[in-house]
Amino acid sequence: MNVNVVISSDYSIISVEGRVDTTNANEFEKAVMEVVASGINRIILDCSGLNYISSSGLRVFLIVQKKMMASKGELRLCSLQPGIQEIFDISGFTSIFSIYPDKDLALK
Amino acid sequence: MDKVLLVNNKIEELTKVARFMEELGEEWGLPVPLVFSLNLVMEEALTNTISYGFDNNGSHTIEININKTGPLLTIIITDDGREYDPTQKKDPDISLPAEERPIGGLGIFLIKKIMDSVRYKRTDNRNNLILTKNIES
Repeated sequence: MNVNVVISSDYSIISVEGRVDTTNANEFEKAVMEVVASGINRIILDCSGLNYISSSGLRVFLIVQKKMMASKGELRLCSLQPGIQEIFDISGFTSIFSIYPDKDLALK
Repeated sequence: MDKVLLVNNKIEELTKVARFMEELGEEWGLPVPLVFSLNLVMEEALTNTISYGFDNNGSHTIEININKTGPLLTIIITDDGREYDPTQKKDPDISLPAEERPIGGLGIFLIKKIMDSVRYKRTDNRNNLILTKNIES
């Protein structure tokens, strides 16, 4: 897994690549929460490179969403691969996140 | 076609499971999305067993059997941990808004949604989780 952060005065972009599973979900949580804790409250999570997620990874997405809602921030997800989208659908996550087909649309 | 994988009761072993599933997918010619789903199912089942199944810090072996007979794929996961029947776990309410959604509790639900059948048996002080899926439907 790789996490890359680009801070911007508009939407900051966190890109996650590879697998988010039980072995590395903590690492993913730490990387994203560091950005959230720094007071940045408009975030796009670019999932174009995310090719595997398990419930441990979903857990982190939900934690971040709750945190962002509590601080009146905005979290947008973009570019979910079909397999990831399917897991989001099954879990009922599609309705609790703002999901955009690509980064350009998420930035609008 | 049959395959057996033995893993230790350590979370790091999930990396081995992922690699095993990729190799099996190639060998058996399984579509990539299916390999993703099956890897997920195994990770969820094993995470539960490894995290909560054992009272002590001792080393335990968990056995995973995968069989493909025609379109029917069967995964049997056997461990000698404490008795636990995941089929009894209540499904989460996935219609709740984010604020009310509890953190966690999705693992077994995902297994049930992805597989066609999920059965549990306790035999000889062992847990047997039997999962099947018609992979050509």
